[in-house]
Amino acid sequence: MFDLNLLNSSLLVIFGFFIGILGSVMGVGGGIFIVPMLVLALGIPIHQAIAVSLAAIVASSSAVASVNVERGLANMRLGVALEVTTALGSIAGALLAGRLSSNIIQLLFALVLFPVSAGMFMKGRRALKHGHARPAPAAADAIPGVFDSEFFDHSIDSSTSYRVKNMTPASFISFFAGGLSGLLGLGGGIIQVPMMNLLCGVPIKAAAATSNFLIGVSAAASLFVYLKKGYLMPELAAVIIIGVLLGSFAGIYILYKARSEKIQIAFSALVFIVAVKMLLK
Amino acid sequence: MNRVFSDKEFGKLIQRTLLAGVSLSLFFFFLGFVLRFSGFQSAGAALRAGVLTLALTPAARVAMLVYGYWRTKEYRFALASFTVLALLFISVLL
Repeated sequence: MFDLNLLNSSLLVIFGFFIGILGSVMGVGGGIFIVPMLVLALGIPIHQAIAVSLAAIVASSSAVASVNVERGLANMRLGVALEVTTALGSIAGALLAGRLSSNIIQLLFALVLFPVSAGMFMKGRRALKHGHARPAPAAADAIPGVFDSEFFDHSIDSSTSYRVKNMTPASFISFFAGGLSGLLGLGGGIIQVPMMNLLCGVPIKAAAATSNFLIGVSAAASLFVYLKKGYLMPELAAVIIIGVLLGSFAGIYILYKARSEKIQIAFSALVFIVAVKMLLK
Repeated sequence: MNRVFSDKEFGKLIQRTLLAGVSLSLFFFFLGFVLRFSGFQSAGAALRAGVLTLALTPAARVAMLVYGYWRTKEYRFALASFTVLALLFISVLL
Protein backbone atom coordinates (compact mmCIF):
# COMPACT_ATOMS: atom_id res chain seq x y z
CA MET A 1 0.00 0.00 0.00
CA PHE A 2 1.11 3.55 -0.70
CA ASP A 3 3.25 5.13 2.08
CA LEU A 4 2.20 8.68 2.94
CA ASN A 5 5.60 10.03 4.05
CA LEU A 6 6.68 13.68 3.94
CA LEU A 7 8.04 13.52 0.37
CA ASN A 8 4.97 11.75 -1.02
CA SER A 9 2.69 14.12 0.87
CA SER A 10 4.49 17.15 -0.60
CA LEU A 11 4.21 15.72 -4.11
CA LEU A 12 0.51 15.06 -3.63
CA VAL A 13 -0.03 18.63 -2.37
CA ILE A 14 1.67 19.92 -5.54
CA PHE A 15 -0.47 17.58 -7.67
CA GLY A 16 -3.58 18.80 -5.86
CA PHE A 17 -2.49 22.39 -6.45
CA PHE A 18 -2.53 21.91 -10.23
CA ILE A 19 -5.85 20.08 -10.07
CA GLY A 20 -7.23 23.03 -8.10
CA ILE A 21 -6.10 25.50 -10.78
CA LEU A 22 -7.67 23.32 -13.48
CA GLY A 23 -10.92 23.16 -11.52
CA SER A 24 -11.12 26.91 -11.04
CA VAL A 25 -10.34 27.90 -14.60
CA MET A 26 -12.27 25.22 -16.48
CA GLY A 27 -15.12 24.42 -14.10
CA VAL A 28 -14.24 20.74 -13.75
CA GLY A 29 -13.44 18.95 -10.52
CA GLY A 30 -10.33 17.19 -11.80
CA GLY A 31 -11.63 13.65 -11.26
CA ILE A 32 -10.53 12.67 -14.76
CA PHE A 33 -6.92 13.21 -13.60
CA ILE A 34 -7.14 12.29 -9.89
CA VAL A 35 -8.64 8.81 -10.38
CA PRO A 36 -6.13 7.61 -13.04
CA MET A 37 -3.19 9.12 -11.13
CA LEU A 38 -4.13 7.41 -7.85
CA VAL A 39 -4.86 4.08 -9.54
CA LEU A 40 -2.02 3.94 -12.07
CA ALA A 41 0.78 5.78 -10.25
CA LEU A 42 0.07 4.99 -6.60
CA GLY A 43 -1.70 1.64 -6.88
CA ILE A 44 -4.77 2.80 -4.93
CA PRO A 45 -7.86 0.60 -5.50
CA ILE A 46 -10.38 2.20 -7.87
CA HIS A 47 -13.18 2.65 -5.31
CA GLN A 48 -10.86 4.41 -2.85
CA ALA A 49 -9.50 6.58 -5.68
CA ILE A 50 -13.03 7.59 -6.70
CA ALA A 51 -13.88 8.50 -3.09
CA VAL A 52 -10.78 10.73 -2.80
CA SER A 53 -11.62 12.28 -6.17
CA LEU A 54 -15.17 13.10 -5.04
CA ALA A 55 -13.89 14.71 -1.82
CA ALA A 56 -11.43 16.81 -3.85
CA ILE A 57 -14.24 17.89 -6.19
CA VAL A 58 -16.36 19.02 -3.23
CA ALA A 59 -13.37 21.01 -1.88
CA SER A 60 -12.59 22.65 -5.21
CA SER A 61 -16.25 23.43 -5.92
CA SER A 62 -16.87 24.95 -2.49
CA ALA A 63 -13.73 27.10 -2.54
CA VAL A 64 -14.20 28.43 -6.06
CA ALA A 65 -17.95 28.94 -5.78
CA SER A 66 -17.50 30.98 -2.59
CA VAL A 67 -15.70 33.64 -4.61
CA ASN A 68 -17.56 33.35 -7.93
CA VAL A 69 -21.02 33.64 -6.36
CA GLU A 70 -20.13 36.77 -4.43
CA ARG A 71 -18.65 38.37 -7.58
CA GLY A 72 -21.68 37.45 -9.68
CA LEU A 73 -19.78 35.19 -12.10
CA ALA A 74 -21.69 32.03 -11.12
CA ASN A 75 -25.36 32.05 -12.16
CA MET A 76 -27.05 30.74 -9.00
CA ARG A 77 -30.55 30.45 -10.46
CA LEU A 78 -29.27 28.42 -13.38
CA GLY A 79 -27.13 26.36 -11.01
CA VAL A 80 -30.01 25.55 -8.67
CA ALA A 81 -32.30 24.59 -11.54
CA LEU A 82 -29.70 22.20 -12.98
CA GLU A 83 -28.79 20.86 -9.53
CA VAL A 84 -32.18 19.14 -9.23
CA THR A 85 -31.59 16.79 -12.16
CA THR A 86 -27.84 16.63 -11.49
CA ALA A 87 -28.44 15.39 -7.92
CA LEU A 88 -31.05 12.93 -9.18
CA GLY A 89 -28.61 11.63 -11.78
CA SER A 90 -25.86 11.44 -9.20
CA ILE A 91 -27.95 9.22 -6.92
CA ALA A 92 -29.08 7.10 -9.87
CA GLY A 93 -25.44 6.74 -10.94
CA ALA A 94 -24.38 5.65 -7.47
CA LEU A 95 -27.18 3.07 -7.39
CA LEU A 96 -26.36 1.78 -10.87
CA ALA A 97 -22.60 1.61 -10.22
CA GLY A 98 -21.46 -1.96 -10.53
CA ARG A 99 -24.67 -3.13 -12.24
CA LEU A 100 -24.10 -1.65 -15.70
CA SER A 101 -21.18 -2.35 -17.95
CA SER A 102 -18.88 0.63 -17.48
CA ASN A 103 -17.29 -0.11 -20.88
CA ILE A 104 -20.53 0.67 -22.69
CA ILE A 105 -21.10 3.84 -20.68
CA GLN A 106 -17.53 4.99 -21.31
CA LEU A 107 -17.85 4.28 -25.03
CA LEU A 108 -21.06 6.33 -25.26
CA PHE A 109 -19.49 9.06 -23.18
CA ALA A 110 -16.46 9.22 -25.48
CA LEU A 111 -18.69 9.41 -28.57
CA VAL A 112 -20.57 12.34 -27.03
CA LEU A 113 -17.37 14.15 -26.06
CA PHE A 114 -15.76 14.18 -29.53
CA PRO A 115 -18.31 16.51 -31.19
CA VAL A 116 -18.43 18.65 -28.04
CA SER A 117 -14.65 19.07 -28.15
CA ALA A 118 -14.69 19.92 -31.86
CA GLY A 119 -17.54 22.41 -31.45
CA MET A 120 -15.85 24.27 -28.60
CA PHE A 121 -12.50 24.36 -30.41
CA MET A 122 -14.05 25.80 -33.59
CA LYS A 123 -16.03 28.40 -31.64
CA GLY A 124 -13.00 29.50 -29.61
CA ARG A 125 -10.73 29.60 -32.68
CA ARG A 126 -13.24 31.65 -34.69
CA ALA A 127 -13.55 34.11 -31.80
CA LEU A 128 -9.76 34.47 -31.52
CA LYS A 129 -9.47 35.13 -35.26
CA HIS A 130 -12.26 37.70 -35.40
CA GLY A 131 -11.66 39.42 -32.08
CA HIS A 132 -13.51 39.07 -28.81
CA ALA A 133 -16.78 37.19 -29.17
CA ARG A 134 -19.51 38.79 -27.14
CA PRO A 135 -22.64 36.73 -26.62
CA ALA A 136 -25.69 38.22 -28.29
CA PRO A 137 -27.23 40.66 -25.80
CA ALA A 138 -30.93 40.47 -25.09
CA ALA A 139 -33.06 42.63 -27.37
CA ALA A 140 -34.40 45.74 -25.66
CA ASP A 141 -38.02 44.68 -26.09
CA ALA A 142 -37.41 41.03 -25.18
CA ILE A 143 -38.93 39.69 -21.98
CA PRO A 144 -36.04 38.81 -19.65
CA GLY A 145 -35.91 35.16 -18.61
CA VAL A 146 -35.48 34.14 -14.97
CA PHE A 147 -32.08 32.62 -15.74
CA ASP A 148 -30.68 35.60 -17.70
CA SER A 149 -27.73 37.25 -16.02
CA GLU A 150 -24.65 39.42 -16.43
CA PHE A 151 -21.14 39.63 -15.01
CA PHE A 152 -18.14 41.93 -15.15
CA ASP A 153 -15.39 40.49 -17.33
CA HIS A 154 -12.02 41.81 -16.10
CA SER A 155 -10.17 40.58 -19.22
CA ILE A 156 -12.14 43.01 -21.43
CA ASP A 157 -12.95 45.50 -18.64
CA SER A 158 -16.71 45.57 -19.26
CA SER A 159 -19.95 43.85 -18.34
CA THR A 160 -21.24 40.89 -20.33
CA SER A 161 -24.96 40.11 -20.31
CA TYR A 162 -26.45 36.93 -21.67
CA ARG A 163 -29.70 35.06 -22.15
CA VAL A 164 -30.13 31.45 -21.12
CA LYS A 165 -32.00 29.16 -23.51
CA ASN A 166 -32.81 25.46 -23.98
CA MET A 167 -33.28 24.72 -20.29
CA THR A 168 -35.38 21.58 -20.88
CA PRO A 169 -32.75 19.64 -22.85
CA ALA A 170 -30.08 21.05 -20.53
CA SER A 171 -31.86 19.53 -17.53
CA PHE A 172 -31.86 16.10 -19.19
CA ILE A 173 -28.16 16.37 -20.01
CA SER A 174 -27.47 17.43 -16.42
CA PHE A 175 -29.08 14.20 -15.26
CA PHE A 176 -26.56 12.32 -17.40
CA ALA A 177 -23.69 14.50 -16.09
CA GLY A 178 -24.79 13.80 -12.51
CA GLY A 179 -24.85 10.09 -13.28
CA LEU A 180 -21.14 10.24 -14.16
CA SER A 181 -20.41 11.44 -10.65
CA GLY A 182 -21.75 8.29 -9.05
CA LEU A 183 -20.51 5.90 -11.73
CA LEU A 184 -17.02 7.17 -12.45
CA GLY A 185 -16.12 9.64 -9.70
CA LEU A 186 -16.31 12.69 -11.96
CA GLY A 187 -18.00 15.93 -10.94
CA GLY A 188 -19.71 16.23 -14.30
CA GLY A 189 -18.18 19.59 -15.22
CA ILE A 190 -16.72 18.03 -18.36
CA ILE A 191 -20.34 17.79 -19.60
CA GLN A 192 -21.88 20.77 -17.78
CA VAL A 193 -19.48 23.44 -19.07
CA PRO A 194 -19.80 22.72 -22.82
CA MET A 195 -23.53 22.12 -22.40
CA MET A 196 -24.11 25.52 -20.76
CA ASN A 197 -21.82 27.21 -23.28
CA LEU A 198 -23.00 25.59 -26.52
CA LEU A 199 -26.61 24.67 -25.75
CA CYS A 200 -27.71 27.35 -23.25
CA GLY A 201 -25.65 30.26 -24.64
CA VAL A 202 -23.85 30.99 -21.37
CA PRO A 203 -20.41 32.63 -21.85
CA ILE A 204 -17.58 30.21 -21.08
CA LYS A 205 -16.42 32.03 -17.93
CA ALA A 206 -19.91 32.08 -16.43
CA ALA A 207 -20.42 28.46 -17.54
CA ALA A 208 -17.20 27.37 -15.77
CA ALA A 209 -18.16 29.30 -12.61
CA THR A 210 -21.73 27.93 -12.59
CA SER A 211 -20.44 24.41 -13.20
CA ASN A 212 -18.11 24.78 -10.21
CA PHE A 213 -21.10 25.95 -8.19
CA LEU A 214 -23.20 22.86 -8.92
CA ILE A 215 -20.69 19.99 -9.21
CA GLY A 216 -20.09 20.18 -5.45
CA VAL A 217 -23.64 18.95 -4.86
CA SER A 218 -23.42 16.01 -7.27
CA ALA A 219 -20.02 15.02 -5.87
CA ALA A 220 -21.30 15.32 -2.27
CA ALA A 221 -24.33 13.14 -3.05
CA SER A 222 -22.03 10.40 -4.37
CA LEU A 223 -19.44 10.97 -1.64
CA PHE A 224 -21.99 10.16 1.08
CA VAL A 225 -22.56 6.76 -0.54
CA TYR A 226 -18.81 6.06 -0.71
CA LEU A 227 -18.30 7.29 2.88
CA LYS A 228 -20.95 4.91 4.16
CA LYS A 229 -19.23 2.03 2.38
CA GLY A 230 -15.93 2.98 4.09
CA TYR A 231 -14.03 3.61 0.86
CA LEU A 232 -12.51 6.99 1.77
CA MET A 233 -8.88 7.16 2.98
CA PRO A 234 -8.97 10.32 5.15
CA GLU A 235 -5.19 10.94 5.23
CA LEU A 236 -4.76 10.66 1.48
CA ALA A 237 -7.86 12.77 0.87
CA ALA A 238 -6.69 15.46 3.32
CA VAL A 239 -3.27 15.85 1.65
CA ILE A 240 -4.76 16.18 -1.83
CA ILE A 241 -7.54 18.49 -0.64
CA ILE A 242 -5.04 20.91 0.94
CA GLY A 243 -3.29 21.21 -2.44
CA VAL A 244 -6.60 21.47 -4.30
CA LEU A 245 -7.80 24.31 -2.09
CA LEU A 246 -4.57 26.28 -2.54
CA GLY A 247 -4.72 25.74 -6.31
CA SER A 248 -8.41 26.66 -6.47
CA PHE A 249 -7.82 30.11 -5.01
CA ALA A 250 -4.85 30.66 -7.34
CA GLY A 251 -6.99 29.54 -10.29
CA ILE A 252 -9.70 32.09 -9.53
CA TYR A 253 -7.20 34.86 -10.31
CA ILE A 254 -6.37 33.23 -13.67
CA LEU A 255 -10.08 32.85 -14.48
CA TYR A 256 -10.63 36.58 -14.06
CA LYS A 257 -7.62 37.59 -16.15
CA ALA A 258 -7.65 35.02 -18.96
CA ARG A 259 -9.55 35.60 -22.19
CA SER A 260 -12.66 33.46 -22.68
CA GLU A 261 -11.60 32.20 -26.12
CA LYS A 262 -8.34 30.77 -24.75
CA ILE A 263 -10.22 28.98 -21.97
CA GLN A 264 -12.59 27.61 -24.63
CA ILE A 265 -9.73 26.19 -26.72
CA ALA A 266 -7.97 24.77 -23.65
CA PHE A 267 -11.22 23.14 -22.55
CA SER A 268 -11.81 21.64 -26.00
CA ALA A 269 -8.31 20.08 -25.83
CA LEU A 270 -9.10 18.69 -22.38
CA VAL A 271 -12.40 17.18 -23.55
CA PHE A 272 -10.64 15.65 -26.58
CA ILE A 273 -8.00 13.99 -24.37
CA VAL A 274 -10.68 12.55 -22.09
CA ALA A 275 -12.65 11.27 -25.07
CA VAL A 276 -9.56 9.52 -26.52
CA LYS A 277 -8.69 8.01 -23.13
CA MET A 278 -12.20 6.67 -22.64
CA LEU A 279 -12.39 5.28 -26.16
CA LEU A 280 -9.07 3.49 -25.76
CA LYS A 281 -10.16 2.04 -22.43
CA MET B 1 -37.30 43.84 -1.83
CA ASN B 2 -34.76 45.26 -4.26
CA ARG B 3 -33.51 42.36 -6.43
CA VAL B 4 -30.01 43.74 -7.07
CA PHE B 5 -29.46 44.42 -3.37
CA SER B 6 -30.84 41.05 -2.36
CA ASP B 7 -28.62 39.32 -4.93
CA LYS B 8 -25.53 40.88 -3.32
CA GLU B 9 -26.69 40.02 0.18
CA PHE B 10 -27.56 36.55 -0.99
CA GLY B 11 -24.16 36.09 -2.62
CA LYS B 12 -22.42 37.07 0.60
CA LEU B 13 -24.53 34.62 2.60
CA ILE B 14 -23.60 31.76 0.26
CA GLN B 15 -19.95 32.85 0.22
CA ARG B 16 -19.74 32.87 4.03
CA THR B 17 -21.41 29.47 4.27
CA LEU B 18 -18.98 27.89 1.79
CA LEU B 19 -15.92 29.58 3.27
CA ALA B 20 -16.95 28.53 6.79
CA GLY B 21 -17.26 24.91 5.67
CA VAL B 22 -13.95 24.92 3.79
CA SER B 23 -12.10 26.72 6.63
CA LEU B 24 -13.47 24.36 9.28
CA SER B 25 -12.51 21.28 7.28
CA LEU B 26 -9.01 22.72 6.68
CA PHE B 27 -8.70 23.32 10.43
CA PHE B 28 -9.56 19.66 11.10
CA PHE B 29 -7.08 18.50 8.43
CA PHE B 30 -4.20 20.54 9.87
CA LEU B 31 -5.16 19.45 13.39
CA GLY B 32 -5.17 15.85 12.20
CA PHE B 33 -1.67 16.13 10.74
CA VAL B 34 -0.32 17.89 13.84
CA LEU B 35 -1.78 15.11 16.01
CA ARG B 36 -0.44 12.46 13.64
CA PHE B 37 3.12 13.76 13.69
CA SER B 38 2.87 14.18 17.49
CA GLY B 39 1.93 10.52 17.76
CA PHE B 40 -1.62 10.96 19.06
CA GLN B 41 -4.21 8.28 18.31
CA SER B 42 -6.97 10.85 17.73
CA ALA B 43 -5.41 12.05 14.45
CA GLY B 44 -7.72 9.80 12.40
CA ALA B 45 -10.81 11.20 14.12
CA ALA B 46 -9.76 14.79 13.30
CA LEU B 47 -9.16 13.90 9.63
CA ARG B 48 -12.52 12.11 9.42
CA ALA B 49 -14.19 15.16 10.97
CA GLY B 50 -12.55 17.28 8.26
CA VAL B 51 -13.89 15.05 5.49
CA LEU B 52 -17.38 15.00 7.02
CA THR B 53 -17.40 18.78 7.39
CA LEU B 54 -16.36 19.12 3.77
CA ALA B 55 -19.03 16.67 2.57
CA LEU B 56 -21.70 18.60 4.47
CA THR B 57 -20.61 22.00 3.11
CA PRO B 58 -22.61 21.77 -0.17
CA ALA B 59 -25.67 20.67 1.84
CA ALA B 60 -25.29 23.71 4.11
CA ARG B 61 -24.99 25.91 1.02
CA VAL B 62 -28.20 24.43 -0.42
CA ALA B 63 -29.98 25.02 2.93
CA MET B 64 -28.92 28.68 2.72
CA LEU B 65 -30.32 28.82 -0.83
CA VAL B 66 -33.71 27.62 0.46
CA TYR B 67 -33.60 30.35 3.12
CA GLY B 68 -32.40 33.04 0.70
CA TYR B 69 -34.90 32.33 -2.07
CA TRP B 70 -37.69 32.14 0.48
CA ARG B 71 -36.72 35.59 1.78
CA THR B 72 -36.56 37.07 -1.72
CA LYS B 73 -39.95 35.45 -2.45
CA GLU B 74 -38.58 33.49 -5.41
CA TYR B 75 -40.57 30.45 -4.36
CA ARG B 76 -39.88 28.30 -7.41
CA PHE B 77 -36.13 28.49 -6.70
CA ALA B 78 -36.75 27.91 -2.99
CA LEU B 79 -38.66 24.76 -3.96
CA ALA B 80 -35.91 23.66 -6.35
CA SER B 81 -33.29 24.18 -3.61
CA PHE B 82 -35.43 22.28 -1.11
CA THR B 83 -35.72 19.39 -3.59
CA VAL B 84 -31.92 19.30 -3.92
CA LEU B 85 -31.58 19.30 -0.13
CA ALA B 86 -34.05 16.42 0.10
CA LEU B 87 -32.09 14.48 -2.55
CA LEU B 88 -28.87 15.00 -0.60
CA PHE B 89 -30.61 13.69 2.51
CA ILE B 90 -31.77 10.62 0.57
CA SER B 91 -28.19 10.00 -0.61
CA VAL B 92 -27.10 9.92 3.04
CA LEU B 93 -29.73 7.25 3.77
CA LEU B 94 -28.86 5.03 0.78
